[in-house]
Amino acid sequence: MYEQLQYLKLALEKHPELKYSIIQRSWQTDFLRFYHSQTNYNISKDNINLSADLYLNKKSFSFSIDDPTEAKIDAALQNAFSIIDSLPEDPDFVDVEDDLSLVESRQITNNIEALSLQHKTEILSSLAQSAAQYDFELYGTFICNYSSYRLMNSNNLDKSSATSPIYLEIKAVHNKTQLTVMETFGGDDFRYFDLEDFRSRLIKKIEFCDNAVVDVEPGTYDVILAPRCVAEFVQYLSYGMSARALDQHSSYFDGKIDQQVFPSHVSIIDDPSDPEMIRMDYGSGGHIYQPLKLVDKGFFRSFMCNQYYHYKTGLPKNGNTASCLKIAPGTDSVDELIGKVKKGLYISSLHYMNFINPKETSLTGLTRDGTFLIEDGKISKVVMNLRFTERIERILKHIVALENRAYTIPFSENYESFDISTVKAPHALVNGFNITSSTNTI
Amino acid sequence: METKIKSIIARLADKDIQFADVRISITDNESISFNNGHLRNYGSSHGSPAIGIRVLMNGCWGFAGSKDLSPTSVDRLIARAKSNAMQGSLFLKEKVSFPALSPTVAEYHHQPEINPFTMAKEEKMDYLGKLALAIAPHGKIVHSYVSGEFMRQEKYYANTEGSYSHTSFYNTLPIMMVVAADSGQVQSRTWPGHMSAGRAGFELFYEQQFAENTDRIIKEATDLLTAPVISEERADIIIGNGHLALQLHESVGHATEADRIFGMEISYAGKTFVRPEMLGNYQYGSPIVNIYSDSTDPKGLGYHPMDDEGVPGRKMDIIRDGILVDQQTSRHIAHMLGLQPSSNMKGSYADDMPLVRMTNLCLSPGKGSLAELIKATENGYYLDFTKTWSIDDNRNNFQFTTEIGYKIKDGEIVGIVKEPTYFGITKDFWNACDAICGDEEWGYYSTFHCGKGEPGQIMQLSHGVAPARFKNINISVKM
Repeated sequence: MYEQLQYLKLALEKHPELKYSIIQRSWQTDFLRFYHSQTNYNISKDNINLSADLYLNKKSFSFSIDDPTEAKIDAALQNAFSIIDSLPEDPDFVDVEDDLSLVESRQITNNIEALSLQHKTEILSSLAQSAAQYDFELYGTFICNYSSYRLMNSNNLDKSSATSPIYLEIKAVHNKTQLTVMETFGGDDFRYFDLEDFRSRLIKKIEFCDNAVVDVEPGTYDVILAPRCVAEFVQYLSYGMSARALDQHSSYFDGKIDQQVFPSHVSIIDDPSDPEMIRMDYGSGGHIYQPLKLVDKGFFRSFMCNQYYHYKTGLPKNGNTASCLKIAPGTDSVDELIGKVKKGLYISSLHYMNFINPKETSLTGLTRDGTFLIEDGKISKVVMNLRFTERIERILKHIVALENRAYTIPFSENYESFDISTVKAPHALVNGFNITSSTNTI
Repeated sequence: METKIKSIIARLADKDIQFADVRISITDNESISFNNGHLRNYGSSHGSPAIGIRVLMNGCWGFAGSKDLSPTSVDRLIARAKSNAMQGSLFLKEKVSFPALSPTVAEYHHQPEINPFTMAKEEKMDYLGKLALAIAPHGKIVHSYVSGEFMRQEKYYANTEGSYSHTSFYNTLPIMMVVAADSGQVQSRTWPGHMSAGRAGFELFYEQQFAENTDRIIKEATDLLTAPVISEERADIIIGNGHLALQLHESVGHATEADRIFGMEISYAGKTFVRPEMLGNYQYGSPIVNIYSDSTDPKGLGYHPMDDEGVPGRKMDIIRDGILVDQQTSRHIAHMLGLQPSSNMKGSYADDMPLVRMTNLCLSPGKGSLAELIKATENGYYLDFTKTWSIDDNRNNFQFTTEIGYKIKDGEIVGIVKEPTYFGITKDFWNACDAICGDEEWGYYSTFHCGKGEPGQIMQLSHGVAPARFKNINISVKM
């Protein structure tokens, strides 16, 4: 299965002066995209890729080969050998990954094979019928991936892993008003998908849309952030928890190790072992991926750090990449959280966030897929999509309470590469959330 | 390869297949980046193949793509594309259809002045290394970055209507950035902004005067640390090309992609406020605003003699004298809207399903130089170089922050401001445009990184712009 990788390794072993890290990946996807409660298109894609990072002392060169063959490998090596010695040095490079520890092997189901296109369309047809009773149609994606890799390096590291994530995202859109709500499922074990529970949650959100549509003025509001919003804010915040951000002077957490940065009911962990999430075996460079406390009861505890930045910054190495974030639940039910809000907003989802100043965690973004007014502890009206301009650190500092249950939220990474990851988060009640304008649209 | 692609098309000439097309691409990529004066990455990928087969069967699209071009793979992809279409047609209410086009044959091969893949490696590394050293950390500069991305793509296209094209081009993306820090403040400056790509080779570094601007970005990043923020609530703003290209991209380009009207992008990229009934009567901008899509200009990254479903390249008005007059479409969507297809269907690589994409989307020039426009502005700000961008699901409410703002008083630049932020509603904003600079300021500003679609695709495209002034814009957002 990894003949090309072995061929490359044998070729590199003839050059003991080199350090190297090489990886062969196999990736495939089955991708159903639907709109107006019908198929838009079905896509199948696959790829086998071999990539190499070569180091001659502190000089480095990388190459990547799609659909690798021995002839392509020979040509890439010849090119690399002709260049590498003439390159300038990177004084911060010391060595490739030297963590040789292995995870316990586990059975990976190929969900592309296990979850047929026919089964997917049956599920969608069933949900479309339920939504149609409210004059809503379904839009979204139903994806299964399967990928595997084997990673080897000059420190005798030899690790393999596979994953098969599932991503179902359904947006129900009203045929006349364009009111939109969303429900998702994500994970690598489809046994956790409960069609009736999924339908019930989707229909409950659709029924919220039966209220009048209003606009609200810019200002600060008490808000209930849905788990997807909490998850996304924490994903953005995690940028500053990397040793790379620290090294580039753009980390909010610079100088804050072991300091209290958030209220004591806020804890964030990067945990690759939760079976309800998409699990990870190895992180950056092949380091074993283990649970890492990032924020513990409000105290910032760790930067995520790979081998390169370990040597450069002196921080402890862990290989974590914030791919399996979990925000600890609190003590209230979601109805209790909403009940605490005299006048405020329920925000279902966020859109197009971008940092203004990453060191300050300031950013702007918008609400999407269902924003609702809360009056006297109850959802009372639909609100136009809104723009916020905020600091994530301020949002987390203003978390008053968290729901007593956390949900697995899938995210599809569509930029540069196509990956699926999950975050687990509860609803959060946040004071003083800064709405800066309305979009005048749903 | 021509024989190969035509033999695959011949196998798809089947009465059960209403339409089919096949694309094959061979791509070279090279990227070089320096951090803090030191080479951090030199990576290459040469001859990367991709193939995509798209079939329309029973009124439904099916697609299969791979990096494997072998006969066994092709057999598998044909079968998979067909089965994807047939299975999809079981969950279908309205069948896809569109009129046939006359077959077209096209050949185009671009050559850069300095081929980045074959030029002397010493020259390339020497130039980039010197740039990196010139902006390496010193004083209040704490981080710096210099990067060059080079791409060559050769593409073959054939469809069951008999159209065939064979093209190749070179694109380059150069960028440099410095980060300054002091007393907890961090500010950055790039050159020449985030829309710095071009249909060119290594000569783009020279044309964009990287070496001549290292001192400027160091000084401006450092000065921004102590610069004030904007204090006014509203002001007239002149937007420079480095940022106006993105304003055009987000609030006109994506908004007029007609697949969004039909909800085909709701699950990721979003919708649009534009409705079919607006064509011909919607006052999108002021009467001086003319915006067109032009895939016939080889100077832009969006040039093609034929798009990825066989539609010949077109130059067409999207907004004429401020009125919305057309859309960017696919053949299917154009048919639904009663329009001619606009030649905007593109996939990033051959194994990507083609989508409605911007090609060269341009703001027509007006009159006069930037200096004259600043001189003619009593009070306001000249903003350039994108720092933060965000626009809503319907492409209606946007907010941008630029790296730097230059304060204008009585027609003169009198100082700088940090993190100038403005927001607006698309229609109001373009209707507030009262001046656009002339031909002498007009140029293409291009990106490698326009994300759309699922599975995600990153498109390379261009915007032709000249600096423009917008009256009484909301700049009240403060952190």
